Amino acid sequence: MHELSIASSLVESVLNIVNAPPKKKIMRVLLQIGELTCIEPEQLQFCYTAVTKDTAIEGATLEIERVPAMVACPQCGYAGAPKYWEDALAAAAVATLECPSCGKAAEATQGHDCTIRTIRYVEE
Amino acid sequence: MGVLLGKRGGVSGAKLGESVFTGYCLINNFTDPFMIQIEANPEEIYDIELEHSLLEANAKIAKANRAKLDENGITAIDFMGAIGSGKTTLITRLVEKLKDRVGVAVFNGDATTSDDGDPIAAMGVPMVQIATINGCHLDANVVAKACAKIDLAKLRLIFIENIGNLICPAEFPLGSKARVVVVSVTEGPYMVRKHPHMFLGAQLVVINKIELAEVMGVSVEQLINDVHKLKPDMKVIPTSCKTGAGLDEVAAAILAV
Repeated sequence: MHELSIASSLVESVLNIVNAPPKKKIMRVLLQIGELTCIEPEQLQFCYTAVTKDTAIEGATLEIERVPAMVACPQCGYAGAPKYWEDALAAAAVATLECPSCGKAAEATQGHDCTIRTIRYVEE
Repeated sequence: MGVLLGKRGGVSGAKLGESVFTGYCLINNFTDPFMIQIEANPEEIYDIELEHSLLEANAKIAKANRAKLDENGITAIDFMGAIGSGKTTLITRLVEKLKDRVGVAVFNGDATTSDDGDPIAAMGVPMVQIATINGCHLDANVVAKACAKIDLAKLRLIFIENIGNLICPAEFPLGSKARVVVVSVTEGPYMVRKHPHMFLGAQLVVINKIELAEVMGVSVEQLINDVHKLKPDMKVIPTSCKTGAGLDEVAAAILAV
């Protein structure tokens, strides 16, 4: 349940912004979650609601966007979408670090972060 | 990492999400270095555009841990794996093998008990028990605290046993130089494909309890193939802590990190 740590960190960051002048009411927080993280959006939503309760941002919506994985290959220079493991057991295909072009080991260049992108507010 | 306070519509003419720099810095009390505000009327809706990583706070402490360990010539190894995969036994065997050759310490992460750590401490190596209570993973902060509890001089290796969990620890680097995933054949044939994230972030995979593979009807080869599907250059070592198979190879791999 690492979503709880993530939600707490999210709320702490947003509260830092709320507490800076001018006085504001937060309406929406847009969060981007990388495909290579194992942060579960639904669980995060649940934790967010719990953590924001009785804080200055209670009621502000949390919108979550997925950021696709990207890889780069140091062997052949490929840069782009990863190779997916289609027949793995997962409900969705699994992104791998096998270079789609030469089959050697690629490195992830995008998709392993979790970032607050936009905080929408009205001035009070 | 810049922060832009942009207005949604209104007098500046900036579109939502468009970068508009008026060139003066207004608010500095947020953790980001620059924050630029655009003049606007009250009652309007604003969007603060930013790129604030929620994983960064931990990542920063992990980097500091790593720098401190590097300074002392210490390599920390983070052992991750499911409950019962054999992390503790593997660490115990490795400590037995290495403790007379190099300075070894162990940080033992456990939700509540010191059952796993006590036998390691009994071998005479520095051991720090990290009780996470309800926490499902170790983080860089608790590792920093554990580092402060032991004398880092004369140490060459620190083995960190993470909480038995194949999901949560993946997001929280600790400052180790290598992450090892321990997966045992008793967890069934699909452990690797079920937990791809854990393997993508690791440098070494140990497939443990191979003496039980036949009884379990699990193919070690298949597990190795699965790992290589995720990461073709991953070092995978099949081991048995019962028979001792593969343990010298793991010790050598760790000393080579």
